[in-house]
Amino acid sequence: MKRKSNKKFNKRPQNPLNKLSLFQKSDSRFSKKCPLSGKDAPVVDYKNIKLLKRYISDTDKIMPSRITSVSQNKQRKLTSEIKKAKILGLI
Amino acid sequence: MSFYEHTLIAKQDISTPDLEKLEKKYKDIITETDGEIIKIEKWGLLGFANKIKAYKKGFYIHYKFKAESKTLEEIKKSSIIDNSLLRHLTVRYKKLDTETEYFKEKDKNEKKK
Repeated sequence: MKRKSNKKFNKRPQNPLNKLSLFQKSDSRFSKKCPLSGKDAPVVDYKNIKLLKRYISDTDKIMPSRITSVSQNKQRKLTSEIKKAKILGLI
Repeated sequence: MSFYEHTLIAKQDISTPDLEKLEKKYKDIITETDGEIIKIEKWGLLGFANKIKAYKKGFYIHYKFKAESKTLEEIKKSSIIDNSLLRHLTVRYKKLDTETEYFKEKDKNEKKK
C-alpha cells in the first residue's frame, strides 16, 4: 500500500498560534492594526455607505471588533454611525 | 450656534413641484428662525434597504446649516405632522465638511455604464 503524500494534512488551515519559536512570524491574514485610525484613515460617517457595509454581516448585524480589529474608540463610533444609516434606510 | 445636518425622506409618489415646495418649506423654516443655510444637496430617488411604510423608494433632501436649538424644535414639529415625509434625521457636528458628496459620485458611474 502506498501512502498518499500527506496531501490531506497540508490542506488543513494552520493555526497562527502554532509556532515553533517565539520569534517566528505568524501567518495570520488579518492585520492587527486598526484600519480606521491613524493617518489617511477613511472617514466614519453615516453617508459613507461603502465603508459601513464592510463592517456588517450578511444578516445586517454589526461585526465584532475581535474579528475586524477595529479599535475600541472607532468601534463605538461605527455602531452609532451604522444605526443612523439604518434609520434613513441606506443600509 | 453649532452646525447641523438634516436629511428628509419624501414619499416616492410626490410630484416634482411639490418636491420643490417641500425643499423651500424647510429652507424657510431655517432662515426665519435666524439660521444660516450652508448647503443643500438633492440625493434624488434612492432605493431603501428595507421597506418603510410599504414604500420601496424615496426622495432624499439633505441640508447643512448653522443654527440654534430653536430651529431644531421647529423642524421637528413640522416634520412630524408632514404627511409627505417618511423619515427625518438631524445630526450635530463640530465641523462640517462641505466638499465630499457621497451620493453624487454614484450617479456619474451609473451614467458611464
